[in-house]
Amino acid sequence: MKQIITTISLFACLATLLVSCDKIPQEEYVVFSGAAGQWFDGTGVNDHSQRALIEKYTGVRCMNCPNADIAIAAATEQYNGQLIAVAIHDSSTFTRPIGDTPRLSTDDGDAWSKFFGVFAAGEYPTALINRSTNGSGWDLFTPTSGINGRADDIISQQAQVAIAVDANAGDKITINVNLEFLQNISDQLTVTLFIMEDQLQVTQRQPDGSDDNNYIHNHVLRDVITDIWGADIDCTGQTGEKRVAQFIYDNYNKDWNLHNCHIVAFISNKESRQILNVAECEIQ
Amino acid sequence: MSRKAIKLVAIALILNFQFSIINSLQAQGILGGHVTGNIQFDGQISRRDSVIGSDNVPEKLLSNARADILYTNGNFSAGLRYEAYLNPLLGFNSQYTGQGIANYFVSYKTQTFAVTAGHFYEQFGNGMTLRAYEDRFLGIDNAIRGLNVTYRPWNGVTLKGLVGQQRYYWDTRGLVRGLDAEISLNDIVSNWNESKTRLTLGGSFVSKYEGDETILSDISGYKLNLPLNVGAASVRMDLAHGGFGLQAEYARKGQDPSIMNNYIYKNGEALWLSASYSQKGLSANIQAKRVDNMGFKSVRSVSGEMLYINYTPSITKQHTYAFLSMYPYATQSTGEMGLQCDFIYKFKKESLFGGKYGTDIHLNASLITGLDTTVIGGKGTDGYTSSFFGTGDTYYGDISLEVAKKLSNKVKCTATYGYMIFNPIVEGHEGDIHHNHILVGDVTWKINRKNVIRFEAEWMASDSKYDAAIDDKRAGDWIMGLVEYNFTSNWFVSFSDQYAYNDGIGNYYNISIGYTKGATRLQVGYGKQREGIICIGGVCRQVPASNGLTFSLTTSF
Repeated sequence: MKQIITTISLFACLATLLVSCDKIPQEEYVVFSGAAGQWFDGTGVNDHSQRALIEKYTGVRCMNCPNADIAIAAATEQYNGQLIAVAIHDSSTFTRPIGDTPRLSTDDGDAWSKFFGVFAAGEYPTALINRSTNGSGWDLFTPTSGINGRADDIISQQAQVAIAVDANAGDKITINVNLEFLQNISDQLTVTLFIMEDQLQVTQRQPDGSDDNNYIHNHVLRDVITDIWGADIDCTGQTGEKRVAQFIYDNYNKDWNLHNCHIVAFISNKESRQILNVAECEIQ
Repeated sequence: MSRKAIKLVAIALILNFQFSIINSLQAQGILGGHVTGNIQFDGQISRRDSVIGSDNVPEKLLSNARADILYTNGNFSAGLRYEAYLNPLLGFNSQYTGQGIANYFVSYKTQTFAVTAGHFYEQFGNGMTLRAYEDRFLGIDNAIRGLNVTYRPWNGVTLKGLVGQQRYYWDTRGLVRGLDAEISLNDIVSNWNESKTRLTLGGSFVSKYEGDETILSDISGYKLNLPLNVGAASVRMDLAHGGFGLQAEYARKGQDPSIMNNYIYKNGEALWLSASYSQKGLSANIQAKRVDNMGFKSVRSVSGEMLYINYTPSITKQHTYAFLSMYPYATQSTGEMGLQCDFIYKFKKESLFGGKYGTDIHLNASLITGLDTTVIGGKGTDGYTSSFFGTGDTYYGDISLEVAKKLSNKVKCTATYGYMIFNPIVEGHEGDIHHNHILVGDVTWKINRKNVIRFEAEWMASDSKYDAAIDDKRAGDWIMGLVEYNFTSNWFVSFSDQYAYNDGIGNYYNISIGYTKGATRLQVGYGKQREGIICIGGVCRQVPASNGLTFSLTTSF
């Protein structure tokens, strides 16, 4: 009997540990997010450039990904700020850390990957520029080539809406997003903000199968600041309309080096998810 | 050595290796087991019918198919299930579209120990903290893919532990961990062994983990601070003495803001009680339950019937006749209270009401209401408070009396009367409460050993009226007739028709023919299916209207 009581007690202790669920104090049910800034009339945007966002889905165990990094780095340099890159590590097996190195995956990036069919296809690296579509769906491609043709198609167009973003760090990161409508847009638009970090030294598998422990990862998605599908833009969408919103972000990981971080803001069509324009800034 | 010689050596080595593996497997007895399985194929062709609201199926043919294969060898077993939804039958979620191995496992089981790796189904107690199950008819499969261990260290003590992810169509989601313990006191306390009173106690603990995500609160600029680990626990007892039985289970769940409860932080709780008495020719059972915010899913933002970790026992009767089950009750895991009484009695042969062959009566009544709640906030708050014994709106109630009597060696009759009240809010839309009276007559005539014919007639009077704005095609007064003929022991043919003769729309006729031989059954049907809801154990799915051909083939080996 004593043995039984001991075993049951041990089992109960294990169970207690197991169900030690998170208890959120009532005053902390909601936290400051900055995810949905309030929109006001703004002063406009000086730079009316059309830019493009290349989302690269990648992984540290993906042998061909370093080649994609080289191609994307060359393209971003060539387009001189008009092509903005982000590296997204989802939850595929390619993102499993090599050795005792940190995992670069994010739930937000994983959600995007699953939505755009990257995770299901299982082919890495895969990229998407401005979330464009082709005849059969999302225009996913292997970004070791084919970047320029797609980027040219977008960047050569006149912007429908201009966007500018700036960010300042104190106790929290304050982000200002300015918009100026250059054409009438009747669709519901959203603005999505995310933070990415450069200069992360994390082991990366190389095309020859070796592991480079000194590999530097740049523009790694750290967190989507707004909802992953963005925050609604309160606007009429008439040509000439200027809107501004301030977003407060205090949910960042204090281990991130903010000097190496950038904030990216992009405007997208809420229905089609396609990106209309994008801007990037350092955190001051 | 020439190339040819190298090839010959290589082939010899490979063959030798293969034979070694086979010999090894045989030596271990692994090849000496046996394989069983079953195969099911359901197909559907449907076309447009503007009256009942069915549409043409672009694919022309829809089909669900599955094959379960089980290998057993002593204590070892392994199995897999192939599923194909090309494309899914009407009413099944389109996310099932595809084919592949949906379920696989290996298991080793002894008297005291069992372990399963891969997909498994499991239930703790009544399922109020965990129930991983499958219902192919509803299109629900909450299988857990992971590890499940059962250990019986002593006679009367059963410990279970599991960890895994839940099936979500062709994917897995979430992370679920669970422990369960059950102790039969009569087995572990030596002087209780012979006692007529039997007592079993149990408890379970389940937790889920889900990563953080951005869910905006109703306050601009704020988001929800989500608990990443959510736990649920329950205690239960089962007491029996002679013909009496008393069962109870109480469960609690921690803060679990989700799409089901509009992201509120209130703790959940559920209480289920059952008292019964039975003796020869009589059984009585009374059940009560109170459920408050107990929806528990492995992913907080998924609605619908997939990814439920737990289950709230249904305490309404699972009717089989068409009109009695036309308005089934869907369990409201967000909050409900209910009471059910069930009474079965057999009048003995040669008694006043028993006659020559005896008479069976079955009386059942249930009443389900909402909770008495006071709203204190919306998303990102505790949501509401509730009074434990207070009741809210009536959701559902029914009473039915079934009398079954054998008139002769060849003829058996069943007559049923049912009265039902149904609040459409349980299906998620506002509307007046319906009151339905239902009468059913069922006569089975066994002509001879190989020929049986069954007649069924149903009538339902309802105060519901068809309203195009709501488009509930169940509304109105209905009659139905059914004839079913089984002949030569292998064949059957049936014809039925349901007709809304007053305040409703639709005439739903069906004819089907089937053939059974051994473990194989083939059935073909043609007719119309009314749009509605089907529920099994309080878990429901929408059934869209259809008009056309259905066929099914099942076999096992």
